[in-house]
Amino acid sequence: MAKTTPAAIWLMRAIFVGLALVIMFFHLLPLDTTPRRWAPPDLLLAMALAWTARRADFVPPLLIAAVMLLADLLFQRPPGLWALLVLLACEFIRSRLPASRETPFLGEWFAVSVVIIAIALLNRVILGMLAVEQAHIALILVQVIMTIAAYPVVVLLSQSVFGVRRLSPADAETLGARL
Amino acid sequence: MAKDRSQREDYAGPLKRLLVGILVLFLAVVFIVWRIDSPRVERFRAQVVDAVVPNMQWAMVPVTGIVNLVRDFQSYQRLSEQNQELRSELRQMRAWKEAALQLEQENARLLDLNNVRLDPQLTYVTGVVVADSGSPFRQSVLLNVGARDGIRDGWAAMDGIGLVGRISGTGLKTARIILLTDAASAVPATLQPSGQTALVSGDNTAAPLLNFVENPEMVRPGDRVVTSGDGHVFPPGLLIGQVAQDKAGRLRVRLSADYERLEFLRVLRHQGSVPISDPGALIAPVPDDMIPLPRPDTLLDGVLPEAAGDEAENG
Repeated sequence: MAKTTPAAIWLMRAIFVGLALVIMFFHLLPLDTTPRRWAPPDLLLAMALAWTARRADFVPPLLIAAVMLLADLLFQRPPGLWALLVLLACEFIRSRLPASRETPFLGEWFAVSVVIIAIALLNRVILGMLAVEQAHIALILVQVIMTIAAYPVVVLLSQSVFGVRRLSPADAETLGARL
Repeated sequence: MAKDRSQREDYAGPLKRLLVGILVLFLAVVFIVWRIDSPRVERFRAQVVDAVVPNMQWAMVPVTGIVNLVRDFQSYQRLSEQNQELRSELRQMRAWKEAALQLEQENARLLDLNNVRLDPQLTYVTGVVVADSGSPFRQSVLLNVGARDGIRDGWAAMDGIGLVGRISGTGLKTARIILLTDAASAVPATLQPSGQTALVSGDNTAAPLLNFVENPEMVRPGDRVVTSGDGHVFPPGLLIGQVAQDKAGRLRVRLSADYERLEFLRVLRHQGSVPISDPGALIAPVPDDMIPLPRPDTLLDGVLPEAAGDEAENG
């Protein structure tokens, strides 16, 4: 039941946008208006990376850029920078972990962790260079660690609930032939 | 299969790479424009929030309600215990209410006696909190009143008791309030009773820091912190909280507003205080229409000796 028809691909793209909106919705709920000592995982980032590593055709660059830019605007982040870094991270994962090749999950998790740490660092360095006010480093560290820890869960949910799993070689052939 | 793949990349590769390049460039430009001309991009952000968040509101209200209900469930379990506590508190409050009423009457009488005029333009608009900042690094809430209701940037927002924050970013239907706990918030304040000025600057913790206190020795934990009105952003005299000292010995403010439950906030309409620009002259200026009277010739002889005599007496 590999999803290779154009309709299925567009459906999955719509599901990605829908899930992103749901995540943003829960972030925006006015439940905690006091400052917190911990930060929740960046589920949008984890989801974008997990889907890119599995089915890059479900999350084209334009979609990732649009969703992350919207998140930047809604979450009061410096607009554009985090979206840019997430887009670069996804492109890196796309080139490193081709969807049709078998990669053990531990290797993928390691690569993703390195990428998450790298873009968090880069974000901090760029903001620091441009003298933008930043959150405390401990809070960002907590978020990075939480995001890395949440990654397997996101992968599991994507695979079992939404059927985002790697293509078998045969499916890759049909998809490639059509493309 | 590898061959197959390389062929595919020949087709789609350059185009895709071009698209990614354009996107990267676009996002970088957005970020740089934001850094250079922040107000314009922030206005755009307010418009985006204004377009997106009210659409979510139909779902946000019930979901928030349900989550709060579930959270309250534990407290429902010890309902009778709480009831007892509330009853005893209520008894105490009744006594306080009597005292407060008497004081209010006395205060009104005294204000009347002294002919004090309170600012009649200080009215408020009440709004409901519809969303928070969505990020653990930012402390702000979104209110369901906006430019449509006459809200302007810079106005103060309070809950029933204390200052909560400042309007920063207004859309047509929504307005964002930067809370006092946000790292970007700094409010000039006066400490009472010592009368010192200080800056209440948030640092992403529940209790903002008190900076630039002239004489920290004169400040005691428990002193009241109110806005000073310096900078003409806030009206003076709004309650912020009480001074407290943290473990490192730094002065902080324990906020009076209930940040656990920010639901209804009132935004004070502040028309700006009238700046006093000239330092004021020592002698009142002479009005133009005052022409020196012509010297009366006939009385001159009679007056002069008298005046000289007066001066001599005074001297």
